[in-house]
Amino acid sequence: MSQVKEPKKRKMSLEKRHNLTGWAFLTPATLMIAVMSFWPMIQAFILSLQTGKANNLSFGDPLANYVRMFRDKVFMTSLSNTFLYLIIQVPIMLVLALILASMLNNKDLRCKGLFRTAIFLPCATSLVSYAIIFRSLFGVDGFVNTVLINLGIINTGYNFLGHATSAKIIIIIALVWRWTGYNMVFYLSGLQNIEYSVYEAAKIDGASPMQTFFKITVPLLKPTILLTAIMSTNGTLQLFDESVNLTKGGPANSTITMSHYIYNMSFRYVPTFGYAAAMSFLIFILVAILAFVQMKVGDKRD
Amino acid sequence: MTKTKRMNILMYVVLTIVSLISVFPLYWMLISATNKSVDVSRGTLLPGTALISNWKSLLSQSPIGLAMVNSFKYAIILTFFALIICSLAGYGFEIYHDKGKDAVMSVLLLGMMVPFVATMIPLFRMFSAAKLLNTTIAVIMPTISTPFLIMMFRQSARSFPHDIIEAARIDGLNEIQIFFRMFIPTMRSTYAAAMTITFMNAWNNYLWPKVILQKEDTFTMPMVVANLTEGYVTDYGVLMLAVLLCSLPTVIIFFLLQKSFAEGITGAVK
Amino acid sequence: MKRKILSALLCVAMTATMLAGCGGGSGDNADDKKAETTDDAAGDEAAGDDAAGDEAADDAAGDEAAGDDAAGGNKLTVWCWDPAFNIFSMEEAGKVYQADHSDLSVEVTETPWDDIQTKLTTAATSGDLSTLPDIILVQDNAFQKNVISYPEAFLDLTDSGIDLKQFSEAKTAYSVVEGKNYGVPFDNGAAIAAYRTDILEQAGMTIDDFTDITWDEYLEKGKTVLEKTGKPLLSCQAGESDVIMMMMQSCGASLFDDEGKPALVGNDALKKVMETYAGLKEAGVLVEVNDWDQYISTMTTETVAGTINGCWIMASIKTAEDQSGKWAITNLPKLVGVDNASNYSNNGGSSWAITSNCQNVELAKDFLKSTFAGSVELYENIISCGALATYLPAGDSDVYAKGDDFFGGDAVSAKIVEFAGKTPSNNTGVYYYEARDAVATAMQNIVSGSSVDDELQLAQETIESQMQ
Repeated sequence: MSQVKEPKKRKMSLEKRHNLTGWAFLTPATLMIAVMSFWPMIQAFILSLQTGKANNLSFGDPLANYVRMFRDKVFMTSLSNTFLYLIIQVPIMLVLALILASMLNNKDLRCKGLFRTAIFLPCATSLVSYAIIFRSLFGVDGFVNTVLINLGIINTGYNFLGHATSAKIIIIIALVWRWTGYNMVFYLSGLQNIEYSVYEAAKIDGASPMQTFFKITVPLLKPTILLTAIMSTNGTLQLFDESVNLTKGGPANSTITMSHYIYNMSFRYVPTFGYAAAMSFLIFILVAILAFVQMKVGDKRD
Repeated sequence: MTKTKRMNILMYVVLTIVSLISVFPLYWMLISATNKSVDVSRGTLLPGTALISNWKSLLSQSPIGLAMVNSFKYAIILTFFALIICSLAGYGFEIYHDKGKDAVMSVLLLGMMVPFVATMIPLFRMFSAAKLLNTTIAVIMPTISTPFLIMMFRQSARSFPHDIIEAARIDGLNEIQIFFRMFIPTMRSTYAAAMTITFMNAWNNYLWPKVILQKEDTFTMPMVVANLTEGYVTDYGVLMLAVLLCSLPTVIIFFLLQKSFAEGITGAVK
Repeated sequence: MKRKILSALLCVAMTATMLAGCGGGSGDNADDKKAETTDDAAGDEAAGDDAAGDEAADDAAGDEAAGDDAAGGNKLTVWCWDPAFNIFSMEEAGKVYQADHSDLSVEVTETPWDDIQTKLTTAATSGDLSTLPDIILVQDNAFQKNVISYPEAFLDLTDSGIDLKQFSEAKTAYSVVEGKNYGVPFDNGAAIAAYRTDILEQAGMTIDDFTDITWDEYLEKGKTVLEKTGKPLLSCQAGESDVIMMMMQSCGASLFDDEGKPALVGNDALKKVMETYAGLKEAGVLVEVNDWDQYISTMTTETVAGTINGCWIMASIKTAEDQSGKWAITNLPKLVGVDNASNYSNNGGSSWAITSNCQNVELAKDFLKSTFAGSVELYENIISCGALATYLPAGDSDVYAKGDDFFGGDAVSAKIVEFAGKTPSNNTGVYYYEARDAVATAMQNIVSGSSVDDELQLAQETIESQMQ
């Protein structure tokens, strides 16, 4: 980017100059985020202090919306659903992605390209088709039931998406299926920055694959793991697609997520943007806290 | 030796199973695209003969070619600018890091934590006031600079050897030259991964384009696919063909780039 | 390595160029189609717009085009969905109008209802209505909500000269807000009960055994069918309250009272409806599936003996061509022990609305007046795509009296127009979707064992909380 100006003063100390260069490098990106994210966020925050429907908004009690959400049973359900997804799905997915990535990083492995592409496929597959497939796989006459019946585990088809617990499990399976390959990409690219000779040395020293994984791969990938952990936390707390497309939040709101409910409040129901914005800010606060903790734990330079 | 062999066989078995599970929906899409709607809804898993008629029907009812061009245009321009701007920032945050910059990074991260539904309306107001509806700028602007991509580059810059920078400075390269001549080539695996991910996100972006684009000749692939599911009668064969076309570009790009982000460091470093 | 990335980019660029070629081709096709509708409108700036659009690279064209719209005197822009149905009908309407007004051009942008809703809400909330087209198609169930929320976005059609008396009252009621008309009814949502006559025959019954019956009789006969053929009579999407809402409207009952307050608790009609639905489900006469695709496939794969829905479901039924002649339609069962119970109801449907951004209000009004609210010819032309009129005079047309071989030669079109005329009107309510979702949630809990009274109490509280 040509607008990055080189500091001209010769007398400036080298360190100061580098410091300024650093600021210059990050200015374009920071400015864009300020205008495209922070400015709308401030407006959304002001909105969150207003109550009323559609365009008839007014500043009454500024905290009314924030109090309201804790009395809103549907929202509370969506909050606990979302947290359940977060706690169960994110660790499973990240560990799986890490294992697959270290398997695929093996130099002697054949058909690596095919395996990698295959495992990446789910997140590139259009939501429309994958939702249809998951719903039909787990339908009463679906493939999964047919297998279970043939194995003699159950007698009649079970309506997986029609029961609260099984519907939640299916959402988690779907999320793991869809996003494991995506996270694997980061690990794969992170692994390239680790010299392969380190692995070979470990092999010669007689380290088992397990030891190599925990003693070399995981510590060296720490910055990438932090990145994926924060992204997945953020993504899961804002989860929308699966809830809308797989289960429509049902049965009886047992799988609805916070973002799904916020969307309903904004566009499906009579628009209540003040309240919707307030709920969005609760998500913001939750993600911020979790990310802060993750940064504290994981973002240390050695 | 036998133990290693057994490990290897296990590895192939695991990878094959995972791959098959991952590929199945794509296979189903492919099969469905060749079948008539009624057969798709009856759950066939065998190739049919309706591919050509589905193709003709798709072309006649939606501007699929134009949407492809639009989607490619938006995604390529966005990916290009996003990679440059965000990697520059990520590099700046890490290589010249100090307390101040670390703090700014944390603040920037906050920018992605509010659901888009909440910021969409202020953004729309901004772009409509600037008379930018239906333009490429409006489609790509909000997602060029993302905390996610900046952080991705920041995290991978951590493994960028500082001796290279020192050596380059001694050779008389200025800071911007170091970035373009040393960092970008060395970090190509990160760039390749970032390119794939950014392209995919840009390609699949749906909510924002559908709000900001009002003219049919600016529509994107996901919007065209959404149109196909809206009628009283959904033609599943045609829909799956469209969905397949919508999924392929990302897959192809991934396939082309995957070697780049999964091959060890060579040449440039030493 | 850089070269590899570069070459990858190049591949992408090449693919893009290739597609650009084929894109140009399909763009031309679209133009041909438009050219038909704009027929005599040669030299109109619309042609210029399209050409600019085809270049696709020129983004500024969007703005210029918007400028043209404002100036263009005889062009109407429309947002609606479904090319085979609504868009086709709108284009046909354009042709009908062009017969007398050769300078008219109609530009339809295909926009799904969800997108229209999102765009409308976004535009109205950000205070910039100038992004809206002249005419939009609005789902009947969402009409009240949108007019009450954003009255400034809609044009009052009460004294526009459009004769809305020619439509059935139940249908116009959707677009009447506080005594004013905001919509011109279009798509017919009259409810039908469709049955597989061959399956009924196996159980020793005919379509007449299901005509003018009650839900109690339906349940008993359904049990017989299930016993003899193993097939339930009806499939529904779990979590959607279509059947419940149809039952409600069949006796003119609503989920809201006259003041618009939710009235679920102590609503005898609703309680009866919930009990009826739960009874059907329990007996296995009604099966629930998880989504629309599975609902359609219960019919195409012959796992059910019938269905109950808006008449537009016939289009989906007809996709299974091998079932031709095996279906018949009749009216709905009616509720027992509820006031004003009838065998007629409605599900879905939509109406045209003129937005306040319309630059040529007189033209838009005259267009709707002489087409959707005044031309039997139009309705005769569009029946080929299955679009049935709610415009009552069209029902008397000879075209509507023709038999349909798929439904055993029965004159289904005339029958449906007749059903539509008998449908009781009800109060959808501004908070329709809130109530609809709450009732669906209640139903799911009732089916899994909760008591009707408790669940209705809970649903009422949910709606009240969301109405804040």
